[in-house]
Formats: sequence, C-alpha cells, structure tokens
Amino acid sequence: MTAIGWGLLLGLMLGTASAEVVVVVSSENPVQSLSHAELADIYLGRMHNFPNGESVVPVDQRENSPTHHEFYSRYLGRTPALIKAHWSKLIFSGRGRPPRTVTDDKAVAEFVAGNHHAIGYLTPELVDKRLRVVPIE
Amino acid sequence: MGKLAKALAGTMLLHLTVAEADETVKSRFTLNGFGTLGVVYSDEEQADFVSNTFAPDGAGYTRTWSPEVDSRLGLQLTASLTPRLTGILQLIAEQRYDENYTPSVEWANLKYDITPDLSVRVGRMVQSSLMVSEYRKVGYATPWVRPPDEVYSLVPVTNFDGIDLSFRSHFDGFTNTLQGAYGRKDASLPDGGTAEVRDVVTLTDTLEWGNATLFASYGRTRLSIDAKNINALFEGYRQFGPEGEAIADRYDVDDKRYEVVAVGTRYDPGDWFVMGELAHSNSQTFIGDSRGWYVTGGYRFGAITPFVTLARVRVDSSTSDPGLSLGGLPPSLAARAGGLNAALNGLLGSVAQQKSVTLGARWDFARNAALKVQYDRLDLDNGSPGVLSNTQPGFEPGGRVDLFSVTLDFVF
Repeated sequence: MTAIGWGLLLGLMLGTASAEVVVVVSSENPVQSLSHAELADIYLGRMHNFPNGESVVPVDQRENSPTHHEFYSRYLGRTPALIKAHWSKLIFSGRGRPPRTVTDDKAVAEFVAGNHHAIGYLTPELVDKRLRVVPIE
Repeated sequence: MGKLAKALAGTMLLHLTVAEADETVKSRFTLNGFGTLGVVYSDEEQADFVSNTFAPDGAGYTRTWSPEVDSRLGLQLTASLTPRLTGILQLIAEQRYDENYTPSVEWANLKYDITPDLSVRVGRMVQSSLMVSEYRKVGYATPWVRPPDEVYSLVPVTNFDGIDLSFRSHFDGFTNTLQGAYGRKDASLPDGGTAEVRDVVTLTDTLEWGNATLFASYGRTRLSIDAKNINALFEGYRQFGPEGEAIADRYDVDDKRYEVVAVGTRYDPGDWFVMGELAHSNSQTFIGDSRGWYVTGGYRFGAITPFVTLARVRVDSSTSDPGLSLGGLPPSLAARAGGLNAALNGLLGSVAQQKSVTLGARWDFARNAALKVQYDRLDLDNGSPGVLSNTQPGFEPGGRVDLFSVTLDFVF
C-alpha cells in the first residue's frame, strides 16, 4: 500500500478528514466571503458571477485527488460520483461545461493569483500573499 | 426593436472585447461520450417490454433476456467556435424502429450565449418536456436503469428541429431557468408508419434553491400518425356516412392537438434524495388522455445507492366506445361495422394503464462507471397491456409482470 493509502486509512480510522481545504481568490478580488449556497451555485455551473456582479471563473482539481474529494464533501456535501453525474446531465443536454481542471494545488495557486475573476480551492499551506482565503459561511 | 437591436449589438461588442482579454479560452473541440450496456428479463412470454413506442421488440416474447432495451452508445462533439458560439453534434447508436443500430443524429445545433444567462439554440436539440427528459438516455446521470415508463412513455420523442431560448435569473439564492422552444419532428414507427409532429411549442421552468428543485412544463403539438392499419380503420368508418365520419373525426390522429402538462420536484442534500413527477397528456384521438406519476427515493451508503420507486399511469378518457350502431344495417355491412368497432375498441383498450413498484441499487464502482440492478413489478390494470407492446394472440391483459434488469452505465 502506498503512503497516501496508509494516510487515508489512518484518516478514516481516526474519523478525521484527510486534508484541510480552503477556498481562495486573488488578493485583488474584493469578495470577502461567500455562503455555502453561493459556492455550490458557482461550482455546479448555476452562477456565473460573484455576488457583487463580477464574473467568476471557478477552477477545479483532478477528480481522483484527495483535495477534490475533500472540497466537494466538505463544502457541497457531494461525492465525486454525484458531481460527475451532475456534469453529465449538463454536458449531455448541451447546457453547460464543468470548470477547467488544473493538475494540483500549486497550479490552482498560480491560476488564481494570475486571474482576479478566478476562485479555487487548495491546501492552506500554499496560500501566499497573492491569494486570500474566502470564508464560507 | 431598434432599441433591442442596439442593446444586442452593444452586448456582443462588449463580449468581443472580453473575449479578446480572455486568454484562457478552452480547447476548441471536446469529445464526450456516454453509454449503457444492459440486459432486461421479463417473465411475460406473450408480449414485449420495450424501450419506447418506436422500438420493434424487446424482452419477454422476442427474447426472455433482451440486451436491446437499455443498451446504447452516445458520442458528442462540442466545438467552441467563439467564446459565445458553440456547436454540438451528438450521435446515438441504439435499437431503432427498423431493428437497425445505425447511429442517428440526436442533436446538431448551434448555441449562442447572448449573455451567460441568456442563450438561443438553432438546429436539432433536446426535447425538455419532463424533468429528466434532457438526459433520459444518459443512464449514468440518473439513479434508475431507465426513467419510469408511467410518465416518460407519455413523451416518447427525445428531440426536435427548431429553435429554443433559455433564460436564467438569480434572486435571493434562487436560480430560475425559463425555456421556450418551437419546432417540428418526424419519427418512424416499427410497422412502417410515420408520426409527424408539427408546431411543437414547449415551455419549461426550473426553479432551484440549494438542494431543492421545482419543475413545471407545458407542451403542445399538432400530431399526425400515418400507419396502414390505423388509416384503414378510419377510412372504413368514413364509408359509413355521418355517424362513421363523426367516429373517425373523434379518434383519428390527423393534425390533432396533443398536449402534455407536467410538474416535478426533487430534493437531494447529497446523502439521500427524493423526487417525483406528475404528467398529464390529452388529445382528441384514440391515444386518449393519460395521467402518470412516480415517486422515487434513495439513500447513498457510500458508493451504493439503493432506491425505491412507486409509479402509476391510468387513462382519464374512455377506453371503449359503442362505435357504429349495427341495427338496421344489412348483414354484410353489419359484419364489417362490427369488425371496425372491435378494432377501434382494441386500440382504445391498448393504452397503458398500470402501477409498478421498483426496487434497485446503483453502485458507483469506478470513477466513470456505475453498475445498476433493478427489479420491477408491473401490475397491469384489468384489460390493459400496460406499457407492454408486441402483444401476441395468447396474451392476457391485466395481471402481474416481473422485470429484472442489470446495466453498466459509463461516461467519458
């Protein structure tokens, strides 16, 4: 079993989440906080703007990553399979396309830092001064 | 009109500038696919359980275990021509009316996003009369092996050619999507006939709030069915003077209005879900007025989702008609009139009336695939074949039919 596998198993045994995940925007983005519902609407393709009216570009992580799993289960209460089913409905009815996916936490940090319309999620260790954590209320 | 044109031109200019600034345009072409490999068993040997009214055969009489009812493969090519203009081509290979699996063009349309929340489509596109209509062929996107026939058989057509508008609005955490469509559709029937659907008007509204969804729709078309046995029946009636003509006018399907109204709701907080839908169809034809509903609920134990569905469809209009009065007719004509009356009552009585209980489970065993098993117990109303078709002379209407299905659904 790989180190990640043991880590996940340990996490499950202790009943704790495998990874901490925070939601971030560019430090130039005026958005201070979002509700759970707003975050869900943005990540499920129902909303294309921040509450202040500025357009929003969500960025996603790979489906098989622990960060992806943690983000969707913690903030949206949905498993990766449910998210996949949700996007299948929209893709195959021609109604929408999922957020772009980047490779890892580091790529999320770079993408969000470089685009003040972007929103992403990553491990808190990678939050630097170009990014701001958005509390989800 | 001038104002609107200016506003549109302004919006488009604005989007062009935004587009130029947007350096993260996604790759131009995307290929996606979906499919189902499935078998269904039926214990009714004298009739077929079919996928829809256009299917020539299915499980039961033709084959005890049929792979044809639920299996299909869909491929979709999406071309982002500009950030606002998208072209979509979707091909589906599945059992067709002629027992052939040649892929058909399910959709071919161009979509223009006037704003991110207002879009217009032109071409062949998805028909959206019922809550799950837009993805009813994508097994991976639904909890069941197939959407409940008690409601979904009321709208067997899945696409149309025309235009549609979709407008989304947001207020206080609510997202409302209003759609309007206009178009037409031709469909071939297994016995060599055709169905012509004209002046298709569909209005649907979907209101989403958190985990809750409310759905309502109204659809209206002008329907004509051109099939040998049906034509012969009504031509026969028309030879019997005003009384026969009145019967033919009442029941034939020649440019007749066909309406469907539906409401639905869904609540899905993630760990469990419930949904239900009620639909009513009406027409001044032998198809009659039907009312169908279903309620489904399931609980997600990790990757496994057991579910249960209750459903019912019944006919509101009369399922029999006295037909031509035989008194006073010479014996040869009386025999002919009696034959017509029997044929008409056969048609009226063959409209689906049944209830069903479905138990099933979905297992999301891999990232892109789900395995489903499902048991359906159909309870056919007295005198009705329910949703079964291809009934054989030995078929006895009414009674119970057991179905068992296994499917593998995938997307890529």
